[in-house]
Amino acid sequence: MFADYLLLLFATEPRRAKAIYNVCRGRRTVSTLFAGLTYQQLAWLDSWHGVPLAKFEAAAQTLIAAGWLQAPTDGYLALTAAGQAQQAELQQRLYQPVAWQQFRQADVRRFTALSQLALQVVSEYSHQTKRYYPVTTDPGVQATVKRWFRQWRKPMIVTQVVTELHAFLATLAPTQATIFMNSVTGYDFPGQTDQQLATAFKRTPVEILVMRKDLSCQLVAWLRQQPTGPLAALVKPLVKANPVSTSAWQTYQAFQQTADLSQIATQRRLKLSTVREHLLETAILTPGFPFETILTPELLAPLTAVFGESASVATWRFEQVQSVAPTLDFFCFRLYQIMRCQRATA
Amino acid sequence: MQQREIYQLLKQKYGFDEFRPGQYEVIAALLTHQDVLAVLPTGTGKSLIYQFVGTVMPGLVVVVSPLISLMQDQVARLNYQGEKAVAALTSQVDFGTRQATLNHLAQVKFLFVSPEMLKQTAVLTALQTVKIALFVVDEAHCISTWGPDFRPDYLGLGQLKQQLGQPLTLMLTATATAQVRQDIVTQLQVPTAKQVVYSVNRPNIYLAVEQVSNEAAKRERLQQLVTTVATPAIVYFSSKKQTDLIAEWLRQTTGLRVAAYHAGLSAEDRFKIQQQFMTGQLDVICATSAFGMGINKADIRMVVHYHLPTTLADYVQEIGRAGRDGQQSLAMLLYAPGDEQLVRNLNELTAASTTQIQNDYQRFQHQQTPPDELAAVLQFYWEHQYSVAQVEALFTERQQQKQRELQQLLAYVQTTTCRRATLLAHFGEPKPSHTATCCQSAGSSLPLETLGLQAATKVEQTPITSWETLLDQLFLQKI
Repeated sequence: MFADYLLLLFATEPRRAKAIYNVCRGRRTVSTLFAGLTYQQLAWLDSWHGVPLAKFEAAAQTLIAAGWLQAPTDGYLALTAAGQAQQAELQQRLYQPVAWQQFRQADVRRFTALSQLALQVVSEYSHQTKRYYPVTTDPGVQATVKRWFRQWRKPMIVTQVVTELHAFLATLAPTQATIFMNSVTGYDFPGQTDQQLATAFKRTPVEILVMRKDLSCQLVAWLRQQPTGPLAALVKPLVKANPVSTSAWQTYQAFQQTADLSQIATQRRLKLSTVREHLLETAILTPGFPFETILTPELLAPLTAVFGESASVATWRFEQVQSVAPTLDFFCFRLYQIMRCQRATA
Repeated sequence: MQQREIYQLLKQKYGFDEFRPGQYEVIAALLTHQDVLAVLPTGTGKSLIYQFVGTVMPGLVVVVSPLISLMQDQVARLNYQGEKAVAALTSQVDFGTRQATLNHLAQVKFLFVSPEMLKQTAVLTALQTVKIALFVVDEAHCISTWGPDFRPDYLGLGQLKQQLGQPLTLMLTATATAQVRQDIVTQLQVPTAKQVVYSVNRPNIYLAVEQVSNEAAKRERLQQLVTTVATPAIVYFSSKKQTDLIAEWLRQTTGLRVAAYHAGLSAEDRFKIQQQFMTGQLDVICATSAFGMGINKADIRMVVHYHLPTTLADYVQEIGRAGRDGQQSLAMLLYAPGDEQLVRNLNELTAASTTQIQNDYQRFQHQQTPPDELAAVLQFYWEHQYSVAQVEALFTERQQQKQRELQQLLAYVQTTTCRRATLLAHFGEPKPSHTATCCQSAGSSLPLETLGLQAATKVEQTPITSWETLLDQLFLQKI
């Protein structure tokens, strides 16, 4: 069940439920990203793209009804003792994704759609069939695959694709490789649905779905390492040049030239608050962000004095430092929180 | 275009020597720029008509279609037949792709679109810039059956057609009573359209109805049917949940290859199940009525209704998916006392009380956005300057109509005379002569032997193939 995977994302200390849902749904607001960072869940960013908020809420309700989650304060959910035991059991039993951080680094969903049609096209081509029902009628996907196929269509394409696939599948556990191939659509083989694979492998359909998403991520990761074949060529344009939005990245580039945020705002015709949001987003998603360029020793002093000893970043309150240093603004406080999270995990 | 040339093109492009009943008549009329309402039985290749006309006439063929899954099927089928310039505008297509389609309309030959999408300004404006060869309303009976209280944008089609410069219009349906035909031509503002009406009768489909005492007995009878009658078979349900549950139960208890199909599945799973069924890898599909509108499988031997269809017209559509190869087939309706309550519940979903209608009018006057589906339907009427009294009358009439349709359906279920005669009478057709392969009279057993519809030997559920073997099978490396 979907709810089982949701339970894995909670802990005994209360977590902001909506932030967790939005991390999964790929909402990139600073507050969502920050929650993802503090809960160490950024790998889940965008992993359940397109799933409506209501589905998360309904799943959480079933977990509450089962006695595994409780709501200590409005908007927050925490594991109960029974929930903790259930979570531990699920961690053992459920398939656990290993490569979901690819969702952040490349457009995995697009790759899944493209590769599905591409594999069908190559399979049918290898059997010299021209009449077949395409697995997707999405015109964008069809056009991209058509261009790709034209570019790579040489007698060798079949061998090249098989070589790529074989090498990739050989890196997987046999069950996973079998699930991957059985879900492929090709010549005289429509492919098995998640429900059918679930029955065959004694898993739930959601587990198969999670596994297949993860297999897509693993394939993307593998193709990025082996960049010469035709399938790798499908991935290449989908790899994100930088981890944040284009606009935030431009702000960050300007920031590397000058630490004067007002100047960046004027230069980029943005509000100062937007510049700050961009920098927070970048700080959360980019390793090695130069925090000290903004957090000068004078600014750091009160922050370290108040929070230096406390590791539970999510529980800090801005008011605590405000009472000591009334001029310090929220931006610096949030940036310091991000710095501490990053350095704790590093 | 001369008759000789039309036949030449049929041979050259589709490889056929003959048209199916009604096809030629409709095509010939359209080629002389006459609007046509075609009522042709299911399985007579209605899509060939607009494909053919699209090939001959310059310009775009716009096909208004009711369901996303149906549009996807139609696009896939045209792709399969080698038509490349095909696009569908649905809510599932992302904004960028939709925009790209609209910007390149001149390169599109066939465009599938829902009535709701068609009325959007961006779509309408783009369509006004290209020449429309033919405006097709597929499943045109939806205008009459869905329009008033479910999808009122169907009622706006006539006006939209006007905004598109009154293009040549083809209205297609498999079943329409005289009343529904009248509704269609009135709503689409084509009173002089030529009507090509063929019988809805499908003599090779044996009509059966069995009364069972309760749900458990019905389930058991279904199990007997799928194991003793020839397959492939479709079993129709009115709820998604039942579809899933019974599919799984049948799979476990019969060893048959069974899958569920409904609108809750992903596009990928829908594709896979349809293709498995088409290529003979499934024996039974348990489905909601979402399945089958676009299905073109010739050898379906049995269609079972586990729940009542909503109307006799729907019933004829749904059983019409059986026996398209002309071979003997079976339509079985399983009825337990009280089943009609499910239909009533469904009908009530689209009902509206006087207070609801009045309150919603207040909402509209305060310029608030529609909060629910009913309000979204009513919004259409307020935007088209209907009065509260008019809308009330319309909703009352629609509920009465649905009540009458249910009675007609129950009359078919409970008849003690020839079922086929009862069915055809509903569509204003004469009584056929009753034979041994016509229909099952109340209480008698199924003459499976006479019909030649005994189950064949069961195909075992295929075990999972290893990845290495599949890689070899799917990709032939020696070419």
